[in-house]
Amino acid sequence: MASDANGIPELDQDKYDADEQVKIICLGDSAVGKSKLMERFLIDGYRPQQLSTYALTLYKYNTTIDRKAVLVDFWDTAGQERFQSMHPSYYHKAHACIMVFDVQRKITYKNLTSWYTELREYRPEIPCVVVANKIDADMKVTQRNFNFAKKQGLPLYFVSAADGTNVVKMFKETIKMAMSYKQNSSDFMDEVMRELENFELEQNKDLSLQTAQEGLKPESPESV
Amino acid sequence: MPFVAKRCGVQFCPPSIVLIYESNIKDTNKMRKRIIPVRNFSKCSDCCMAAERMKHHIRHRAYLESVSLGQLERLHIVLRDHMQGHSLEHTLASLRLDPEEDLNKLDDEELARKKAQMDKLFERNRRRKDDPDFVYDLEVEFKGEVAREPCSWDEEESDDGF
Repeated sequence: MASDANGIPELDQDKYDADEQVKIICLGDSAVGKSKLMERFLIDGYRPQQLSTYALTLYKYNTTIDRKAVLVDFWDTAGQERFQSMHPSYYHKAHACIMVFDVQRKITYKNLTSWYTELREYRPEIPCVVVANKIDADMKVTQRNFNFAKKQGLPLYFVSAADGTNVVKMFKETIKMAMSYKQNSSDFMDEVMRELENFELEQNKDLSLQTAQEGLKPESPESV
Repeated sequence: MPFVAKRCGVQFCPPSIVLIYESNIKDTNKMRKRIIPVRNFSKCSDCCMAAERMKHHIRHRAYLESVSLGQLERLHIVLRDHMQGHSLEHTLASLRLDPEEDLNKLDDEELARKKAQMDKLFERNRRRKDDPDFVYDLEVEFKGEVAREPCSWDEEESDDGF
């Protein structure tokens, strides 16, 4: 399970344990504008890394917080949201979450409930913000209450990736929340995950021992 | 512009784009019809590329000057969907935005069609980095929570535990 959570070979998620590294994930339905928000924020030379095998896009962002250089990795889905569920590795070691819906499509708002439930399964404590995107399409929505955020006690941002309203503000505040979460919490789930990881390693050791004894050498596909 | 397109459509057999246009040459202002055959096009073809090819075609480009690439692409999509055995209703629905539709359920191409529709509004409202009035960190204060009105999307609260 734990090795499953870490299971992206190209990515060493242990780096997120380092002080100067933060991981922030984006959640929400297809076409709510998650990538567009990222691109608007990182307008000056964003360099996304596509991991299409995992339906994942990573954006790197360098910033300074309290005179300390911080590297933020934003994790964005590239179609994985279609399964209305994300792979556990997506949530693994995340320090904050940006949850987006489209103010023109009610279903994307309604689906926040299931995204939020899944988030809390893996990351019960991390800060999370709710983002109402595409307000440029209908400014009247900014006069309405969206109860979901209030009910869950989450900050709500009215933004537009198109004209830029409140996009930078939202990202900057989320990064701050992620940093302060990282500095101040000894996350219980992290501890549990670490235990599980060790446990799994022990098991794997036993298994490889066994294979060695039986004289079976596992062969990698490339060597054929 | 010597020719101004008024309407366009498709003809399935043989696959062609039909263009009704006004000719400004000779000051006749007569409506004319031009049927442009779509060649080397199959149910596996790339509609965007095919549309581009047609838009720049030496014999047709003057007539297509006032037809956007996006529209030409959609006409090619209609043709290709037909070749794939889809009904016209299906194709037209796939090119239209329905706010009630769950876009998570669509495949890559269907989703791309919806996103292309959404992009129209996005591009219209977009502020670009090189626009004179561009502000990177654009902050707008909206009414506080207390001053805001309830939202109809929250109405069926008890049903789904929202």
